[in-house]
Amino acid sequence: MRTLFKPKQSKTYSNHALSIKMGSVSCALRCQDNEIYDKLQRLYHDFLTDEPTDVTIEMKPVNRLSPEDLSTALSTTRYKHKGNRIRTTSRIMRGQYDLARRTITITGERSLVDPNMESNHLNQLLTAAYYSACKIKYDSRPPAMLVHACGILRNGHALVFTGPSDAGKSTIARLCGERHGEVINDEMLLMSRPSPGGNSITIQSAPIIGDLLPGRNTAAPLRCILLLKQSNKTALHYLDKVAAHLRFMRQIISPVCIGQKDKRSVYSMIADFSAEVTGAIPVYELEFNLDEKSLWQITGELEGVQGREEWN
Amino acid sequence: MTSGAARVEDAIWHRIGDRVVVIRNDGRATHVLNKTAAFIWDICEDGCGIDEIAKQLCDRFDVSFEEAHADVREIIEELVRAGIMKQIKKTTGRAS
Repeated sequence: MRTLFKPKQSKTYSNHALSIKMGSVSCALRCQDNEIYDKLQRLYHDFLTDEPTDVTIEMKPVNRLSPEDLSTALSTTRYKHKGNRIRTTSRIMRGQYDLARRTITITGERSLVDPNMESNHLNQLLTAAYYSACKIKYDSRPPAMLVHACGILRNGHALVFTGPSDAGKSTIARLCGERHGEVINDEMLLMSRPSPGGNSITIQSAPIIGDLLPGRNTAAPLRCILLLKQSNKTALHYLDKVAAHLRFMRQIISPVCIGQKDKRSVYSMIADFSAEVTGAIPVYELEFNLDEKSLWQITGELEGVQGREEWN
Repeated sequence: MTSGAARVEDAIWHRIGDRVVVIRNDGRATHVLNKTAAFIWDICEDGCGIDEIAKQLCDRFDVSFEEAHADVREIIEELVRAGIMKQIKKTTGRAS
């Protein structure tokens, strides 16, 4: 027996396209591979939206390489860009884009978009999609930038712990548990520019995979930024504005949209954003010895001090 | 004609307090200019002769022209070596 009427479907789930909310933009991921599509739907569940799409990524997974061969290929892969086409030297991925039509088409190894695989490139894909959507929607000046950081929601405010890889961001998330706050994300956050004339900055979760999977889509005002430094003690130092600017700048994810060629404008955007943020919000260096008790004790003291006097 | 200095075109810079942070080479090189170097940076936007910079420095700070001139020359040499300024020839503006 044939079904005469198709079941009514939400726009988000139709045509194998997931519309994912990232801050103030929406990026649609379209994938005809049922298994990958289902995984992505579960992974980004809390970020799905019915809002109009700013950019659509058509993913065409192919299975040509074994995981071992892919791992080898990744280590030597270089990305090349010609006209509106992108390819890799190892042929693991190729793509083309048409920003006027807001579409990016990527054909690549299936593992690159499989959330269960270690070699997945979903974070890079969404990062490029976010900045491409911002270029279309805001003429290259994103209202929020992606920052390599772990965000903890405590007492209605976000604490941002940032620093180089292995500085302890995931450890902070693990030590947070459910007792000391809520982990917004342990890998990347969306940080807004300071509000006009004020020092209010908003932290928003991003659909980014870290050691933890993306949690709920939430936002909170930023209390302060803590730059992590591994140490044999736990101690906090206020950073002057120049040191804060120079060190925070390195933690901002390069705002490279698809087809971006002008490196100077990318670094200019990073430096401008860092100067804006560190000019508005206190930045501290947190020497950290992985001790849970002293970490939350010193964080609590900082929260108590802020608003009355500067910590030093 | 006299020697002078101008900022390189591709430098990205920000004023933070009384200092200037200059970034070059895709973010790989950063330079923090102290108060005097930042003052020179400000007035060299479109290029400026060393005599003129030294004169403006004397107007702003309690320093003799000779001392200012020597300092300006030294600082500019340093900024040129750092790759964030370039030496230029500047007309003095005086009648010959």
